[in-house]
Amino acid sequence: MIGCLRRLLAVAGNTFLEAVRQKVFAVLLLFGLVIVGGANYFTEFSFQEQFKFLKDLGYASIGLTGLLIGLLGAAQLIPGEIEKRTILTALCRPLRRWEFIWGKYLGLLFLLGLMVGIMATAVWAVLRWKEGQLIASEGSDPAVADLIRGEARDPRMLQAVFLIGVKLAVVAAMAVFFSTIATSTTFVIAMTLMVYLIGHLQSVAREQWLESGETARWWVKSFLVVVSLLIPDFNLYNLIDEIVAGNAVHWRATLEVAGYSVVYIFVLLVAATVAFEGRDI
Amino acid sequence: MNLAVKTQGLRKEFALGWFGGRLLAVEGLDMEVKRGEVFGLLGPNGSGKSTAMKMILGLLRPTEGRAEVCGYRAGTIHARRQIGFLPENPYFPNFLSGVELVRYYGKLSGMGGSKLEARIEELMELVRLGREAGKRPLRTYSKGMLQRAGLAGALVGDPEVLMLDEPTAGVDPAGSREIRDLILELRGRGKTVIFSSHLLEQVEDVADRVIILHRGKKLREGRLEDLLSHKGEWQVRMQGIADGDRRELRAWLENRGVRIVSESAPRERLEDYFLRSLPQEVRK
Repeated sequence: MIGCLRRLLAVAGNTFLEAVRQKVFAVLLLFGLVIVGGANYFTEFSFQEQFKFLKDLGYASIGLTGLLIGLLGAAQLIPGEIEKRTILTALCRPLRRWEFIWGKYLGLLFLLGLMVGIMATAVWAVLRWKEGQLIASEGSDPAVADLIRGEARDPRMLQAVFLIGVKLAVVAAMAVFFSTIATSTTFVIAMTLMVYLIGHLQSVAREQWLESGETARWWVKSFLVVVSLLIPDFNLYNLIDEIVAGNAVHWRATLEVAGYSVVYIFVLLVAATVAFEGRDI
Repeated sequence: MNLAVKTQGLRKEFALGWFGGRLLAVEGLDMEVKRGEVFGLLGPNGSGKSTAMKMILGLLRPTEGRAEVCGYRAGTIHARRQIGFLPENPYFPNFLSGVELVRYYGKLSGMGGSKLEARIEELMELVRLGREAGKRPLRTYSKGMLQRAGLAGALVGDPEVLMLDEPTAGVDPAGSREIRDLILELRGRGKTVIFSSHLLEQVEDVADRVIILHRGKKLREGRLEDLLSHKGEWQVRMQGIADGDRRELRAWLENRGVRIVSESAPRERLEDYFLRSLPQEVRK
């Protein structure tokens, strides 16, 4: 058991270390931080709109940077190791293949966790900075100052960041699955992006075809059922938009989405393990 | 029998795309390597040496037949615990330092704590990678240093069997000699070493037995002494013999019906001469 944990953590640690020692990840993180910081200079709106804009752009930056880092990181997981042949010297050890896959995923999660943590801290810092600026300029009325503080210190930010992290964890699991059947990094990135887009569009299609009142043909229904089972519905994470809009989102709903995500992550990793188990290296 | 590696009817076919047919890489390979032996896998490029090694390591699944390592079916965790592997080229994560590489491989072997750290120190000393070199990233290493770091990584789990795929390919003569000396040292410690090489002189220096493969099939197998010694011939090297005595000796032998096959002044091997020409500190 301890040996298994050591091997898992060794693979995860190495995956994490490889990523953080590459310049491309630092550049992507910097790109995200610049967007978050730059948003602070849009001052043409009312303070509510400014905060909404800051949060909207901040969460979008975390999501986009996380998606890029997750895709690039995952693409290198297996095909990258096969291309560099470093996988030979790892898999000839007393390391089970599932330990390798799950360790790789864990390393990617560490990386995404670090990235989301840094960027969320940056968003929080920008919000607090804006709070100070706005209270100095518009907060002479204590009621307005309280409203500004309420916007800047909105605890729902935790919920939004948590949902972004969970969504990125699902995308990473998809990328890990594709990396076990892929022969190139390009294939992993292309397939993951394609499924990501389908995941966003599937509920639109479902509404269009199934809930518009028209009678859908049996094969359309069957196709949509299969797609909705195979591909996670990424519109569920639109709760983040509700949070940005200032609407109340219960933690129960957030945790339900997290539970849905955990099921998909587990299934994807099991499928990845099965696919990788019989693969010649 | 006390066997380190045994293969029976090992066969591997690769699919060449969807409509490309199949490529036969290894066919019906039967091989037995005894514990403590240095065993050479010889053959031209594409003869199936690396494929056979990968099947023994469990990286490739045989199409037919089976391979065993110390009595365990190849590819199982038990079998992989008995094996250390050094690939042909330095396929190591080059963002790590030498010490980090060995530590990573140690952890992959389930090791940890002070036991692993002590083992790393012992191995870095064995492969002669100093403290400073051990801290440098692998991308700054020469090929010889990389192979030595890789060898330390292969040895970290204290395996019974070491598989070295072209361990001296691309390494300079001094580095190559070091790796050869290491192989001999490992044999002295009771390890079984299976290696492939194109440098036949080196194989001759260290191998107890060899197998020759061609297009995936075994052509020859046996002890070097049996394969290479000329039956019914005798060779003598001598010093201090005068020219006249030499001619007289030759005539005496011919009178007794001995056919002289060759007669020449012995030459030093270029590798030995080259290494002797280098400054002492480089040779070390």
